[in-house]
Amino acid sequence: MRKLQIKDKQQLISTIDKNRIFILFGVIFLFMALFAPRFMNVFNLTTIMRTMSLNATVAIGFTLILVIGQLDLSIGTIITFAAVVGLGLKESVGFGLSVPLAVAAGGVVGLINGILVAKAKINSFIVTLGMMTVLQGTIYTITGGNSISLSTPDAFAISDWLAEMFFPLLTPRVLITIILVILASFGMRRTRIGRNFYMVGGNSQTAWLAGIDTDRYTIAAFVISGLTAAVGGILFAMESAAATLNMGNSSLMYVISATIIGGTSMAGGKGGVFKTFVAVLTLEVLYNGIILFGLGNEVKIFLAGVILAAVILYEAYTSYRREKVLGQRPELMKELERDREAAAASSS
Amino acid sequence: MKKLVKLLFVGLMLLTAAGLVFAGGEAEEAASGAVEGNLEASLAIDVSVLTAADGQPLIKLGGQTRPVPERPADPSALPETDPLHWWDMEFAGWNSVKTNIPESPKDGAIGKRIVMIVHGDHPWTTACSNGAQKVADAYDIDLKIMSPNWDLAVQNQMIDQAINERPDMILLIPLDAKTAPQQARKINRAGVPLILFNTLPSAEAMDYAIAWTGPDDFGQFRILSRLWADALGKEGGVAYVQHAPGGSPYFARCFGPISELSEYAPEITVLDKQAPGFEADKTMQLVSDWLTRFGDELKGICAADDSAQALGIFEALSKAGREDVIVVAAGNSKVGMDLVKDGKLYAITYQTAEGDGALAVKTAADWFNGLEIEPVRYLPQHMITVEDVEDFYPPQW
Repeated sequence: MRKLQIKDKQQLISTIDKNRIFILFGVIFLFMALFAPRFMNVFNLTTIMRTMSLNATVAIGFTLILVIGQLDLSIGTIITFAAVVGLGLKESVGFGLSVPLAVAAGGVVGLINGILVAKAKINSFIVTLGMMTVLQGTIYTITGGNSISLSTPDAFAISDWLAEMFFPLLTPRVLITIILVILASFGMRRTRIGRNFYMVGGNSQTAWLAGIDTDRYTIAAFVISGLTAAVGGILFAMESAAATLNMGNSSLMYVISATIIGGTSMAGGKGGVFKTFVAVLTLEVLYNGIILFGLGNEVKIFLAGVILAAVILYEAYTSYRREKVLGQRPELMKELERDREAAAASSS
Repeated sequence: MKKLVKLLFVGLMLLTAAGLVFAGGEAEEAASGAVEGNLEASLAIDVSVLTAADGQPLIKLGGQTRPVPERPADPSALPETDPLHWWDMEFAGWNSVKTNIPESPKDGAIGKRIVMIVHGDHPWTTACSNGAQKVADAYDIDLKIMSPNWDLAVQNQMIDQAINERPDMILLIPLDAKTAPQQARKINRAGVPLILFNTLPSAEAMDYAIAWTGPDDFGQFRILSRLWADALGKEGGVAYVQHAPGGSPYFARCFGPISELSEYAPEITVLDKQAPGFEADKTMQLVSDWLTRFGDELKGICAADDSAQALGIFEALSKAGREDVIVVAAGNSKVGMDLVKDGKLYAITYQTAEGDGALAVKTAADWFNGLEIEPVRYLPQHMITVEDVEDFYPPQW
């Protein structure tokens, strides 16, 4: 077998780096398929798809937020807020109006976040942390501490429809998520506006010098984040036929983890919605398998932590390696080394 | 390398396709456990001899059911201080219209497979699971316990996974009363027998379950509040440290006493009610604020939790030098019982965690054995005070 040349090695490392989330997904999926009891059947795989739907939808907007180098801690409460608005208004205006209003509410929250970050120049961590608290208070105030349920035949009918498998692995809610992921992936990679988000996150000053209105892109990212969190929340609530006051709480950490595991850089300018989607799927497959093995929640938390830590360490290592070889030409270095060796040999 | 990645994906897709074609929709047949004599052997098993970690009987059935008053035409139209306002929650299940409930196989509990889905990781849950396991072991039931760690999406996933396993029964603690109907309905539609337990779900959920088992939270707090009112001399200002919003304890442990005392001790006034969560420092902050705001007007505090919340309450009272405030709480954790023993907590409710899990499994076993199941089965009611607290040591959690 031909010995790997430096260029091949670099290509190999680069390919692994670029495709690490697919490899991780493949390894975990394969392991579960081979060893987890009852993993490989339509019902279970559809369960995985159904479960990932909420966080995958929310993660679309969150990926965009990380790409522009910001943070949105309010996504969990936007999920709950949209669910409460959507289900709370259903009795008076019907789903036809309450669902768009719930999604719009998420967009408005995102707009406020965006304006405060872009125009008032307040750190996004502070802004969205504040928004999270304000929204929590608002939710408790408008609900009086009560969850909202819709135990009516029409609400059950919509709930059943959203959860019904019409094709292997697909339910309407899962399909909506997949369509949104495809649209967002395409938009970010193949359109000028989408690529501009990467420029803003990569180097906002350069982006500004290139004529990009960075404030507008920042605001747009927060609005999209609010919208996707609201869409995820209202769809989840409709399928559950209920909105609880903490239904979005666990999504925040989950989505942050998945987005980072998917390769989106917290420094901005790098990442992608499709990879985040695969990362959400990876975590769901892992969690599903853990339950099938009959293992406890502590194992789930531990393994998710191990994966996240490994990804962060790997990121740190690649960043260190990049810094180290920045500007170097490995072929020339090798040539120089050879010359030195030859000179040393001739002098001796 | 790209080829390798592609190859891996193609392999995965083929594997998925093969799984879908060959294993698709195939669910494992439920272990029937139906063998000759199984029923007879199951009926002969006596679980009343089992004891919990605190030395109390693990299961105590009968004699705990309160009379159920007639349901008002519209309970929600009544004021919150009227006990009948809470009828739908307090007596949820008693007037349920059972829908699509499977017939008991009447083939005995021995060898059955049960999936128990709890709400989250907590010392209480560990004790509850231990109790369930004790009864399961007595009947040789294969019990699988799942915990979603307070995450609704994960609990929904676990319900799907449990259905996929086609067990003989699912036992469920709904994370939220309001999401329970759709969860129960899903299990019911899948044809898997269901027993709900511990937290009270919305009344509609009861239609899809064989039964609900658990503590009579409202009933317990009605008794506790009378005891508390007597200690307060049936007058003075009181405040409520509430449970997490959403679940039945949030209402039962606050509005249960409020509505009870509106009739039993109308001179007692409610100064405030807040849900600070289950952290001692937050409760301490809340109670300190109350002490500043209400001063000597505050005579009593009723807490939804006798561990972290109780610790926070007594930390605040001790800092303010207030030993006159009479505190009662829902129990019975080690922390709570120690506080009762020290004479700080006036009374706590006896709420056996092991018994909670045990009663759910026992009810499932009774159903497999073809016995008649009441729509609601309560745990025993009892108030623990300094006089009998020693009887409940060592604590279950």
